[in-house]
Amino acid sequence: MEQFIYYLKVSFKGIKRAPLPYALTIFILSVGLGVFFANATFYYQLNSDPMPHKSDKLFFPMMLLAPYTCTDCKPPRVLSYSNIEKLSQSDIPSAKTAMYSAGGYMRLNASQPALPVSIRITQRDFFSMFEVPLLHGTIWPDNNARHEIILSKATAEKLFGRTDVIGEKLLLDDRHLTVTGVLDDWQMLPRLYDANNRNHLSPVEDVYLPLETGYDMNYLSNTQSQTFDQTDYRQLSTQGRTGALHQLQYWVQLDTPAQQQAYQQFMANLVQDEKAAGRHPSEANNQLIPMRNIVNYFGGDSTDIKAFALVTLLFLLVCLFNASHLSLNRYLGNQYEFSLRRALGASRAQLQLQMLADVILMAVFTITGALITAYGGIKLMNQLLPSNRLFSSWDLTLLLSLLGIAFVCSYLVTLYPSLRASFGNLNQQLKE
Amino acid sequence: MSFYLLCKVLFSRKVVTGLLLVQLAMTLALLLNSILLAQQTQQQLNQPTGLDLNNTLVALLKPTTASLRVYPALQELLDRQLAAVQALPGVIAAAYANQSAILQGGNNGNIYDIEQEERTNIPTVPMYFVSKDFFSVLNGKVLQGELPQHSISLDGPVQPEVVLTKSLADKLFSGESAIGRQSSRGRVAAVIDDFYGQRYSDHVMYNSVQVAPPYGVDWGYSIMLRTQPEQTEAVRQKLADVLRAVEPDIEIFHVRTLAEQHKDLYRNEYGLAMLLAILSALMLLVTMVSSYSSTHFHALKRQQEIGVKRALGASKNTILLELLSENWLCTVIGAVFGIGLALLLNQALAQVITIPPLSWWLPLATCAILLLCVTVATWYPAAIATRISPATATKAL
Amino acid sequence: MITLTNLGKVFRTELIETHALREVNLQVNEGEFAALTGPSGSGKSTLLNILGTLESFDSGDYQLDGKSVKGLSDAALSKLRNEKIGFIFQSFNLIKDFSIYDNIELPLRYRGLNAAARKQRIEQALELVGLHARRDYLPGQLSGGQQQRVAIARAIAGEPRILLADEPTGNLDSLMARQVMELLEQINQQGCTILMVTHDPDQARRAGRNIQIIDGQLHDSTMYDPLAAQSA
Repeated sequence: MEQFIYYLKVSFKGIKRAPLPYALTIFILSVGLGVFFANATFYYQLNSDPMPHKSDKLFFPMMLLAPYTCTDCKPPRVLSYSNIEKLSQSDIPSAKTAMYSAGGYMRLNASQPALPVSIRITQRDFFSMFEVPLLHGTIWPDNNARHEIILSKATAEKLFGRTDVIGEKLLLDDRHLTVTGVLDDWQMLPRLYDANNRNHLSPVEDVYLPLETGYDMNYLSNTQSQTFDQTDYRQLSTQGRTGALHQLQYWVQLDTPAQQQAYQQFMANLVQDEKAAGRHPSEANNQLIPMRNIVNYFGGDSTDIKAFALVTLLFLLVCLFNASHLSLNRYLGNQYEFSLRRALGASRAQLQLQMLADVILMAVFTITGALITAYGGIKLMNQLLPSNRLFSSWDLTLLLSLLGIAFVCSYLVTLYPSLRASFGNLNQQLKE
Repeated sequence: MSFYLLCKVLFSRKVVTGLLLVQLAMTLALLLNSILLAQQTQQQLNQPTGLDLNNTLVALLKPTTASLRVYPALQELLDRQLAAVQALPGVIAAAYANQSAILQGGNNGNIYDIEQEERTNIPTVPMYFVSKDFFSVLNGKVLQGELPQHSISLDGPVQPEVVLTKSLADKLFSGESAIGRQSSRGRVAAVIDDFYGQRYSDHVMYNSVQVAPPYGVDWGYSIMLRTQPEQTEAVRQKLADVLRAVEPDIEIFHVRTLAEQHKDLYRNEYGLAMLLAILSALMLLVTMVSSYSSTHFHALKRQQEIGVKRALGASKNTILLELLSENWLCTVIGAVFGIGLALLLNQALAQVITIPPLSWWLPLATCAILLLCVTVATWYPAAIATRISPATATKAL
Repeated sequence: MITLTNLGKVFRTELIETHALREVNLQVNEGEFAALTGPSGSGKSTLLNILGTLESFDSGDYQLDGKSVKGLSDAALSKLRNEKIGFIFQSFNLIKDFSIYDNIELPLRYRGLNAAARKQRIEQALELVGLHARRDYLPGQLSGGQQQRVAIARAIAGEPRILLADEPTGNLDSLMARQVMELLEQINQQGCTILMVTHDPDQARRAGRNIQIIDGQLHDSTMYDPLAAQSA
């Protein structure tokens, strides 16, 4: 240890002798790594799997069940109520849920100012499928219409100032509802259950309403609703349930390959029956998209982050090249001393230890600089690309890998130059 | 010094030169592509919209109680809000609309010439349901026909007449007069100047407008107004309060000019271009540091050589020129690789974002920028190096 | 050829002032071969550097070919060095990563000669020093004596009027040193004026004239009697 402290001292002396090139090396490495970190944060968070143990079991069935003729088309991005009714008939999935989202205004009584809330209108299995933690109360026992609402923890606190509000009454767009559940803190990132129109970048909703109640209350989807016939979308509770008004998304949980195959078959049969009944003229186009591919299916990949990732990687490379260049110059400047040490009997192993001390010192400076740059970079990217704002946090895994990368880079930058300095021709260097 | 000897000096330091070359090439590639992207964004932001962007204000609203979202209460609310807004000093025209112009997407659908549905069907054409002053808010010319003067309910027995933008009318009716023709949304009453509707529609200038109360306001509605140029800011300050005074039970999502809305529409492109520009600047800085340090150390290592050259009759300027031309040569070689790399990067980027292909003059311009930066960075250490005393340097053992 | 009048050079640091040269008067005629001798630190290298315009002086005047070098710009001085003066250093000072040919070519390039003219002069110079066969070698591949001969070739390729040699044999063994001396004498016989700093009394004696410097002052400037030198 004492020996190592000595090596650190020597490193410090080396820095003091030529502070400018050292500072420049650190600066360049910090900037390169910082920029890389900032983007890597978004890249990592955006591409992370929010449910790694389950995401291969959740599927998104898509079918071309619409009353229009079309060859070679993708199914519409949303399904109709009657589509869902038919899809729900199958008992193959271990869990299934239909859903959409809407906006509404909530208050405790008519005299209060309204609180704008985002509503997920869905079915019972939503909460188990996406592992939503419940703090108080219960989830609806079935998928029937009921004037009951489940609140997020933050919404309960905002509205009532506390979380245990089971049985309390409130007004949602002037209609009376009873609170039957309050969720614990929950943020699914990315929010893969709704990836249409890049909605996976949004935070989870404030309140949850049964699907049938949402239709009864004429809630129209606030992200996408489409009609393929003369359905009046203001008559959601009646025409909306029978007509070709598409606004729903559907998820099924299929635990085994056998289940998945069986469900595929079910979908194929369903389309055939519907076609035979003359309810849709187009060629069948069934898709069963695994949760991991859903963003890609909807074309919602964050291309800006991807493009920037490519570029920041290049930048990091440039900075690495540059820093090793600077470092090489620095070592060449110190070469005489290096050679002198060797002439005085320092073994290569000892010189390598000296090098390790250099690396550690450099890594400490670099990591500090890189984290500061990365922090600034993330703030800047939140400013410039605000849609990715939710994906700018560091978790432990990310932080540790970033530190690892910084260390490896410091090592690489020091390795070549010091090797060159310690393996050069001793005689010649001393003579020079 | 001759080109041959320059090359010789350059390539005697293989590793250092190699590193510098790789770096220069990458810098150029990045610089080139970010300029390209910035240029594209600039073009998108500068494309004509057919609207007075700076003097048109949009307020996006939604009633917070369900009772205000149904007729006739809604109609009464719209009329009251419109009257209040029109009374504001500086307001030239005001109208309500189910949606404003210059949006990402919104209320849209297909439209076709009733007589030729198969051939003329155009998907995702925005549909506007507006009050009659909408056209004077837009401030475009009426090219054919006459604007409808009365609001007609969409639920009535007769469909309200349709006003089309010129591009849409030309497309639907192949350049023939559209007036009186029957479209799937109603009889065409007038054709007006193009204006920017929705970015993700078939064509940003395709729009159809009907003077009718909005179908529903589940997605909110907009109040649009055009103001006297010098009054825009004043009106904007007052607008939210005026609207709340008319009816407190509304949510005002935002009040902004169409210019802001337009910028917001290209926010991602703008953001990415900005990020790349910042990164390019950093990269240039890094390259400058690199040129600086390489010249600095190089000169330090070659003090003796420089001294000898001075003794052999090289003036200070010759030495300076030699050091600079070494870097110039290096930059030019790096730039040649860089242009190749830029093409590759351009293709790689084109996989994930829309980016125009490289033009011929851009590489030249970026090479010039790179050369300038390298020169600036090399100058100081090179000038220092020329001050080496030949008498001392030639004595060195 | 060279006329120094009351020439003085002072080195100043914060603490002390050292008169490297004081009141030096010297006349060197065309075709002379003069040796500059003196103890270490006596100022002989300084004098040589001033003669070669590598260093400036503080007082007096230095006329080369009847023209004062005082107040000439860096560019004019460089041109002067390039065209009229050749240098030979103790440590040869060849450029390591240039070939023999490239090394000799360097001053000719600075003069702006065309490729053909350069080639002709380099060939001549190489012929003179007897290293024609080694023209593509790097300096590191040659012996010390050979390197010094290359340096001489580089110095004379530009056909200078004056050759300034700073202990040209200081790093060489006696055999090599003799070869170099013979070469210098040969060059002198062709009409080139030579001023040579040396420690070696034998070499000093072989020169036609011995200029001694002690403590920055030209102590003696005698013409050797060739007969006396032979008998010594």
